[in-house]
Amino acid sequence: MNTQVERVSKWCYQGVWGVLTSWFRVPDQPPTLPSENEELEAFQPSEGFLKYLKFKFWILLAIFDVAIFVGWLVITILNPVIGMILAPLAFLIAVVPDIIAYLAIHLRYDTTWYVMSDRSLRIRRGIWIIHGTTITYENIQNVTIKQGPLQRWFNIADLRIETAGGGQSEQGAMSSHCGLIEGVDNAKSIREMLMNRVGQSQSAGLGDDDEQLTELWTKKHIETLEEIRDLLAVRLAQ
Amino acid sequence: MNSSSGNSAGFDPRSITRPEPVLLTYYVWMSILAGPLFPFAFLPLFFKYKTLEYRFDETGISMKWGILFRKEINLTYRRIQDIHLTRNIIQRWMGLATVAIQTASGSSGPEMSIEGILESEELRDHLYSQMRGARGETVPDELNEKPTQQTDRALELLGEIRDLLKSSTPGEPKP
Repeated sequence: MNTQVERVSKWCYQGVWGVLTSWFRVPDQPPTLPSENEELEAFQPSEGFLKYLKFKFWILLAIFDVAIFVGWLVITILNPVIGMILAPLAFLIAVVPDIIAYLAIHLRYDTTWYVMSDRSLRIRRGIWIIHGTTITYENIQNVTIKQGPLQRWFNIADLRIETAGGGQSEQGAMSSHCGLIEGVDNAKSIREMLMNRVGQSQSAGLGDDDEQLTELWTKKHIETLEEIRDLLAVRLAQ
Repeated sequence: MNSSSGNSAGFDPRSITRPEPVLLTYYVWMSILAGPLFPFAFLPLFFKYKTLEYRFDETGISMKWGILFRKEINLTYRRIQDIHLTRNIIQRWMGLATVAIQTASGSSGPEMSIEGILESEELRDHLYSQMRGARGETVPDELNEKPTQQTDRALELLGEIRDLLKSSTPGEPKP
């Protein structure tokens, strides 16, 4: 019985997914980065993130449905006729948004992708509005890890990768000067890797020209020095 | 170096000067969503579409639009901080996207939003390849290797010169 329910729900989910990819043009492939023979690592939030979202969902659902039930109960006690008429409506309001929300959690999880290469990372998320962010490690200014008590319980954390430039947009997560990697269980190792890269970089990550920064001795300097040595050698040999 | 930008073969952003006509259709749809405010939403967008011009060159991008109040934005590829590609559902149906480019300025919104390009993914990847840190030039080992090599060579030469001077004893120059 249980497996049948699972199979049906899986089939329904596949159907929704199919509609999204074919009619609403939601890409079903993970994003890629243009790269020259470097390995790409594409990953999704960890399993814990799905559990975390579902846990929050169940709590909200309980509050929401209890509120509806209490409201309906009050009306029924005051006026049983109206209560009876409202019963199916209340039931619909209590159930339909839950199913949609539950579906949305799964879809949100399945459409969130992170791709990291040697030089840059790309984040893609969203269903109605698909949002892709590309940041090169060279431009990273700081990396923030955030973990709430509930997230700690599920062993996940959010990673915020910020580039230069201010201005927090009110959307927060979709803020423009940052990339959000949420719900990963290896936030620390990603942080290590990123901060290593930032530390090795010799620029401020503001679009500086490398030539001016790195070339202390150019070929011309060397050639001139060689000339001096040769001249000196000739002069001294005389 | 430039071969690395060839990931989008056949795509040349320099040929882009005007947005695709389908952008106007998109603007119509977006204005319809504004409901009774349709004319107020549509007119600015219409004029924006009519006057919008892009120019992609070797070092940067510039875009300008406007009839009464004209606006022109210029930026160089090197100063790009991050690139955002956003597609809402209407844009996806029309094959459009918004490529938002951020520099390190203080505004929270993107500095430049490129709309009405059908090859938005290619454009994004082209911009990415022009961006700092996208290519080998700043990879640490290369970064450290080249200058130190030069510096070592310079030190070597300076040492040789010193030895030459030292070997010729001061006071009694050779005849």
